[in-house]
Amino acid sequence: MTSILEWLQLVLAPQSINGLSIGVAVVLMALGLTIIFGLLDVINMAHGECYALGAYMVVLILGMGLSFWWALVLTPLIMGLFGYVMERGLIQRVFHSKDRHTLTLLLTFGMATVLEDAIKIVFGANPQRVEAPVTGGTELLGLFFPNYRLFVMLVGGAIIVAVWLLVFRTSLGAVVRAAAYDKDMSASLGIPVSRVYALTFAFGVALAGIAGVLLAPIYSVFPTMGRDFVLIAFSVVIIGGMGSIKGAVLAGLLLTQVQSLSSLFISPVWNDTLLFGIMVVVLMWRPQGLFGKLGHA
Amino acid sequence: MLDRLTSSPSSKPNAVRFLAWVFFSAALLFAIVGTLMGDSFYVRLATEALIFGGLALSVDLLLGHVGLLPLGQALFFGLGAYVSALVLKHWAASFLLAIAVSVALCALAGLIGGLIAIRSKGVYFALISFGLAQVVSKVIYNTRELGASDGMTGVPIVTVLPGLQTDNPLGFFIVTWVVIGGMYLGLRYVMQTPMGRLFAAIRVNEHRVGFLGFDAWHFKLVAFVAAAVVAGLSGALYPMLRGFVSPELMFFQVSGSAVVNVIVGGSGTLIGALYGSGLLTVLKSVLGSFTAHHHIVIGFLFVVVVIAFPRGIVGYLVPLLEKRGSNNPRGGQA
Repeated sequence: MTSILEWLQLVLAPQSINGLSIGVAVVLMALGLTIIFGLLDVINMAHGECYALGAYMVVLILGMGLSFWWALVLTPLIMGLFGYVMERGLIQRVFHSKDRHTLTLLLTFGMATVLEDAIKIVFGANPQRVEAPVTGGTELLGLFFPNYRLFVMLVGGAIIVAVWLLVFRTSLGAVVRAAAYDKDMSASLGIPVSRVYALTFAFGVALAGIAGVLLAPIYSVFPTMGRDFVLIAFSVVIIGGMGSIKGAVLAGLLLTQVQSLSSLFISPVWNDTLLFGIMVVVLMWRPQGLFGKLGHA
Repeated sequence: MLDRLTSSPSSKPNAVRFLAWVFFSAALLFAIVGTLMGDSFYVRLATEALIFGGLALSVDLLLGHVGLLPLGQALFFGLGAYVSALVLKHWAASFLLAIAVSVALCALAGLIGGLIAIRSKGVYFALISFGLAQVVSKVIYNTRELGASDGMTGVPIVTVLPGLQTDNPLGFFIVTWVVIGGMYLGLRYVMQTPMGRLFAAIRVNEHRVGFLGFDAWHFKLVAFVAAAVVAGLSGALYPMLRGFVSPELMFFQVSGSAVVNVIVGGSGTLIGALYGSGLLTVLKSVLGSFTAHHHIVIGFLFVVVVIAFPRGIVGYLVPLLEKRGSNNPRGGQA
């Protein structure tokens, strides 16, 4: 009996906490994807590259001699501006075409190719390390946790709650939800729909950037770092329901827990296979995902 | 969408047929002239372009004709390549056996993949096909029996016909030319049949197809399996050309460039897929001699095409040829 308790305390709990810190970042990624999809019906295939770009911003800002805290504040602003320009300059141009689902997907896919190579040209292909701003560990309930993981959970969790409040409890969020629900009606009520679109896209990209900042000290920073990570975010968004904020948060936390706990029993190389298996089962049961779209729920 | 149906190239075959003639004659001419000049590198590169053109054909079947965007079509291409390599290495060095087993297994994989992916629509389909390929390529990447990340080398040289072996650059180019050309003609033919018209109907308005008494799901599954077979058959040629297979063949870059080929060449035209594959192969080898970062140029080109010429090269050329080719403006409708 005690051995089971010890196993729970010393093996399962730390694994679960580690999973939670990754999970918070995955939720931030998935929130960006799902908000963009919920409002604009655009799948941002370049989301993984935006995440990588966010991580490289840390490298850049630390290289300029500024602290990690500056990176945490500046990166979302820079990435948001980047997202705004991307929406205005590119996505807006095909947005009114009849095939916009396919065209915007292809467009962001092209952007992903360009961004990945651009990162390689500017920063080089070699992985880079980022020092964590908080070091050491804390003992909680007889367990030792790296402080930075706790920090990620705290900051990430706060941002998730802030996003939730912003979308569901403020008039700005109401504008976004109204535009998602019926863009023509919103436009005739005086909402500047196309600016709302661009700002929402910028907001989603900024969230991917923050996820990149938070995970940069945990993983190393390299040009293709977004590729595998974005697959998890896509699975989360598909399972949670494309365009659903509630779905992204719940599915994100759940899936990363499954992922980190399953690696106690099976080799981590089968992680993606497991995720995909779950995704297929959920889709067979509910093809539209677990929850409804933004503005419809 | 409706205007795309009525003006789809299948209703005015002359310009498309002309472009197909130009493509296949130019390809053959290039290989023959190249061989006469003592080259084998570019002849093999052209063979590879044709093989990847076959993959692009399968993407166009789904994207341009049924309206499903596959982001993981390299799954079936890579599967065909692995099966073909395994048959040639461990079973018998027989061209027809390798092709037959690859086609059979890709049809089966297409059926299973289709049952999973066809349930979903639109962007969900694109992401599911993307995930499917990602997962299978990861499994192969981690399976030591299949060579893991190194892939498999040492695929034997195969005799296709008496006196015609796969290590002969021109000979194998012609074999590939016949296979890809055959698949092109076969798909062209299918698009003229009632089933092909139904594919177009599904692309334009899937909802209405149900009211006409047809089961759209059923036809989408048929198209998905057919696309898997086309991709798998093209893939089966790959190890015969290069003598090895690697898990990279299934990676997203391969699926992604197939989509790029189709869009740049012109989706919904079939021959556009081959033009796109040829053009991008030329572009990559020219740019590759200047810089290691040719992806950024190709990515930019792709973005420009999507914004400014969403119908691609062939979609852009066909109306021009129509106008020039006939004095009667309605001649194409006949």
